Amino acid sequence: MATDDSSGIMAVQGLVGPEIAASRITPGCNGEYYLHVGETEFGPLVTSLALHKCALIGLFCTEGFVSASRFSLLYVFEYKATVLILVRNTGGVATSVARLLPSASWFERECRDGFGIEFDGAFDERRLFLHETYPEGFHPLLKSVRNEPVAMRSAVDPAEEYPFRKVTGVGIYQVPVGPVHAGIIEPGHFRFSVIGEKIFNLEIRMFYKHRGIEKLAEGKRPQEVVHIAEAVSGDETVANATAYCCAVEKCTGTAVPDRAWYLRTILLELERIGSHLGDQAGMLIDIAFPLGANQFAVIREDVFRMNALLTGSRFMRGMVEIGGLSKDIRKEQLEELGTFVRQARKRYRVGLKIVLSTSSVLDRFAPTGIIRKSLLRPLNITGPAARASGGRVDVRVTHPYGIYDRCVPAPKPLHDGDVLSRFTVKASEILDSLDMIERLLASMPDGPVKTEPVVKDGYTLALVESARGQNLCWVWIRNGVVERYKIRTASFCNWQAIEHALQGEIVPDFPLINKSLNLSYAGTDL
Amino acid sequence: MVNALSCLLKRKVTEDPLIRDDDIEQIGRDIRREIDAVFGRSLAIRELDTGSDNATEIEINNLNNPYYDIERFGITFVASPRHADVLVVTGAVTHNMAGAARKTYEAMPSPKFVVAVGDDACDGGIFNSTYAVLGGAEMVFPVDLKIPGNPPTPKDILTGLLALMKHAGKTR
Repeated sequence: MATDDSSGIMAVQGLVGPEIAASRITPGCNGEYYLHVGETEFGPLVTSLALHKCALIGLFCTEGFVSASRFSLLYVFEYKATVLILVRNTGGVATSVARLLPSASWFERECRDGFGIEFDGAFDERRLFLHETYPEGFHPLLKSVRNEPVAMRSAVDPAEEYPFRKVTGVGIYQVPVGPVHAGIIEPGHFRFSVIGEKIFNLEIRMFYKHRGIEKLAEGKRPQEVVHIAEAVSGDETVANATAYCCAVEKCTGTAVPDRAWYLRTILLELERIGSHLGDQAGMLIDIAFPLGANQFAVIREDVFRMNALLTGSRFMRGMVEIGGLSKDIRKEQLEELGTFVRQARKRYRVGLKIVLSTSSVLDRFAPTGIIRKSLLRPLNITGPAARASGGRVDVRVTHPYGIYDRCVPAPKPLHDGDVLSRFTVKASEILDSLDMIERLLASMPDGPVKTEPVVKDGYTLALVESARGQNLCWVWIRNGVVERYKIRTASFCNWQAIEHALQGEIVPDFPLINKSLNLSYAGTDL
Repeated sequence: MVNALSCLLKRKVTEDPLIRDDDIEQIGRDIRREIDAVFGRSLAIRELDTGSDNATEIEINNLNNPYYDIERFGITFVASPRHADVLVVTGAVTHNMAGAARKTYEAMPSPKFVVAVGDDACDGGIFNSTYAVLGGAEMVFPVDLKIPGNPPTPKDILTGLLALMKHAGKTR
């Protein structure tokens, strides 16, 4: 995010127009900007931001943020390196912006379930994370609601069941799949409307795994929330812990030692390598090519074992803390990592060659499950999925955190947007991450790995590039405890791309396309 | 024409794994023996995620990678609860999954066993007594064995399955 306040404010003013006085734009603790807007100026301002090609990357509600109003809606816009948060106050009813900015639709439904905010003019007013067994009028994120067991409705009238979009016509039939799937995979429901073999429409329904992560964090001391952030999504443990810690460090002014950031970056890249390898193996399993899949599965298991050697946990849990790391990594272990990286690169190249020179693989991968570039900004699709469709988006480049300004990755976007592009983008990212780890190991500074965190109230936004894309985290600390922890993982937005990627494809390609997008159910359902 | 004898004499084309874990091999052999004795040579497992953070699924999936390759011990993961002897449950049971979880259990033929894998499935973990979850797996069906961990390693899970086989042998 822009670091220099005056140039940053000028960039923001370029977006909002000269009618808004520069003095009203206030810098946040982590390079983001806040602008409190009145109801009359909100509509024209949002229209202007949309015309300026700003992406709505987050929208969430918080209670008691300003004294004048019960609720505040925070609209997070991104334009290149600028992040602008519009603060819009409301008593409980607000106009919807989903027709203008489609990514707002799920965000607004989320605010409605959590806080009971009604959005006028919304094209989709169905519940999102509270399924129909939750009682009417129950909004868990309200401060007046205590986090304790609730009496659920024992029976749901069929008329109140979730209304899927009805697709009718000659020869159209429905294929309902899930929430329990055939493989070892997380739960979600997919409703296919099919003509013959071709998918005419796919509607997804998620949030079967809603565990109340955000509410759970409230009222806890900041350091107690790190392991909650780790539980958002298992294979994004380091990314989400880093996003949370980064936010807390920025708003409390806690300086993180260099060595801690070098080690954190190694862990973040190891997590990316492990995740991408898992996707690639999974994609090959889904087209019945175990020879290729096992090349990657073996290296992935080695990554897990390396994680365990370095941190004591195969998922690198308990490592990232506010102010740095819970423990240092010894020199010999880092040397072992260096050896592993060199071997892994060689073995990975062998596997890649086997896969990409097999015609039956290419036949299934291209041109399957295309995501058009025009969808990226409206739906805020990020990560490898976006980079395979021509998007130049990578938080490590646009909003560098930690030491990423010193070891900038070079995203090499592809343009076809199909399964093959996503496979290839991930392949080049694995090799990039291996290179990056080697460079970091070569320039590893000595010194402490943790500073004692400063205790201070405040709020800020942090963005982190997880293996799946842009993870957004907003933390507000009040009276020494977490007042609001908002996390929006890349999957939350990227899931909506799958409905588009499947149109015109055949049902048997669904697992492959799904795997190529590697979406986290846990990270979406929270 | 292919000569059957020449196929037998040919060198095998598969590679040997780089690493052999002696512990895993030993647990695997023990499991194999128990499965042969108790389940008549094969054990079918259905995995059910009722609200995990996906780390446990990943470790269960890893049991199929070439390092563990547990199918050689007689364990298969099946696509339907109707084909399963054992239900392996991960994650605290969320309200949104409770209905589907019950249906999955009811769809299994008897005798059936349930294993809770991971801290959240064992007792609800950090989500216990919150608005969104019922608690551990035993809140919706009887649980025969708990394998704690955040998440448990593939070796922990295998050790747990061996304990289940021994338990199942006693209930015959």
